[in-house]
Amino acid sequence: MEDATRALGKGSQPPGPVPEGLIRIYSMRFCPYAHRTRLVLRAKGIRHEVININLRNKPEWYYTKHPFGQIPVLENSKCQLIYESVIACEYLDDAYPGRKLYPYDPYERARQKMLLELFYKVPHLTKECLVALRCGRECGDLKLALRQEFCNLEEILGYQNTIFFGGDRISMIDYLFWPWFERLDVYGIADCLNHMPALRLWTAAMKQDPTVCALLIDKNIFLGFLNLYFQNNPDAFDYGLPC
Amino acid sequence: MSGGSARSLAKGSAPPGPVPEGLIRVYSMRFCPFAQRTLLVLKAKGIRHEIININLKNKPEWFFKKNPFGLVPVLENSQGQLIYESAITCEYLDEAYPGKKLLPDDPYEKAYQKMVFELFSKIPSLVASFLRRQNEEDCSGLKEELQKEFSKLEEVLTNKKTTFFGGNSVSMIDYLIWPWFERLEVLELNDCADHTPKLKLWMAAMREDSAVSALLTEPKVLRGFLSLYLENSPEACDYGL
Repeated sequence: MEDATRALGKGSQPPGPVPEGLIRIYSMRFCPYAHRTRLVLRAKGIRHEVININLRNKPEWYYTKHPFGQIPVLENSKCQLIYESVIACEYLDDAYPGRKLYPYDPYERARQKMLLELFYKVPHLTKECLVALRCGRECGDLKLALRQEFCNLEEILGYQNTIFFGGDRISMIDYLFWPWFERLDVYGIADCLNHMPALRLWTAAMKQDPTVCALLIDKNIFLGFLNLYFQNNPDAFDYGLPC
Repeated sequence: MSGGSARSLAKGSAPPGPVPEGLIRVYSMRFCPFAQRTLLVLKAKGIRHEIININLKNKPEWFFKKNPFGLVPVLENSQGQLIYESAITCEYLDEAYPGKKLLPDDPYEKAYQKMVFELFSKIPSLVASFLRRQNEEDCSGLKEELQKEFSKLEEVLTNKKTTFFGGNSVSMIDYLIWPWFERLEVLELNDCADHTPKLKLWMAAMREDSAVSALLTEPKVLRGFLSLYLENSPEACDYGL
């Protein structure tokens, strides 16, 4: 994988300018938000380089790329910086040729953006479940709340009677949702999808997508990362990289 | 273009018929800053539209079929397509209708406007909290937070060296953030902009824009609405009619 590089931390040298013909993404191998942008880079076949950031020990220079040191951030060869994962994904779709991931039709584009609004509680809820479970706390209420959000999405798929959220082909909205669904199993909350046949079908279809497949994170490596992360080990972010 | 000054529809009202061809409908409320975004874009692009005002303190049952969240603004076109979330409605209008493009064509400049929009994003809830404040402590805390947010916007104008947030003429980002700045005076929050001179200049320049000035609400009418609205009065939305 292009992103199999050690994360840069405090004291590291700032990277040089981005060579022409390439775009750079500041990322972290296990971050779901950065995952969105990496999916789009892959789906559109965009030549890119990845610089992983140690999120627990951020390089001082990184705050010149993002005021709060968040990821993902795109940097192009004109030194333009783009952040917020959704903005970065749309930028890539607009700026690069090839297959458009957002529909052309203004109403269909608007529909995908409205769908994204329906998703907004999912990242927070999945993270809260993960933290609760890792800290040995009960999270029945959180899981119920997450299931409620999934029910809304299940209803949409049922109503549309399509495999994917944008129709019969995979499109931007599917990639924007995917990272959290990929993590349900390794977070220990895969049962939140019980009794949701349309979402399960969607998940299965997503796993057949070549882009999703290419970026699928090995479960054992992810678990290794999570174990170190919850022990506050600063080497967590490099777990699974060859020594 | 009709309906801006029409009485709002409430519970028990008959649902409106389909939208005639050649027109787009916006479900709105005369004092809602989010709906004002959409009205500004409709005006700026010269899009033929009709307005149906909704009584937000006594919503018609049929309105939840237009937007399951029951919020304004909502766009409905003659094909029966519904679009909601104010920023999404604005972008839809810019893409679907000809004439002056409010969002830049350049992908980076477009992304930049969206990043500035994120920088603005805490302001609506801060202003709403300020409206509902209980005491003087809340007041000064909220004002301080608002000043912090204003400084971020000041920095953008300083870096860009332009009058408006998207360049030297008004564009989408200016319209998206304007409604809250229009309300500063009535909320007695103008002094929060005292240390952000470029922002103050921007506010003055915005008042000269034709779409903005066409949709300005008289401060005393806004004040009248606000006191009724804070008391949850079902008469609030029609204040001044």
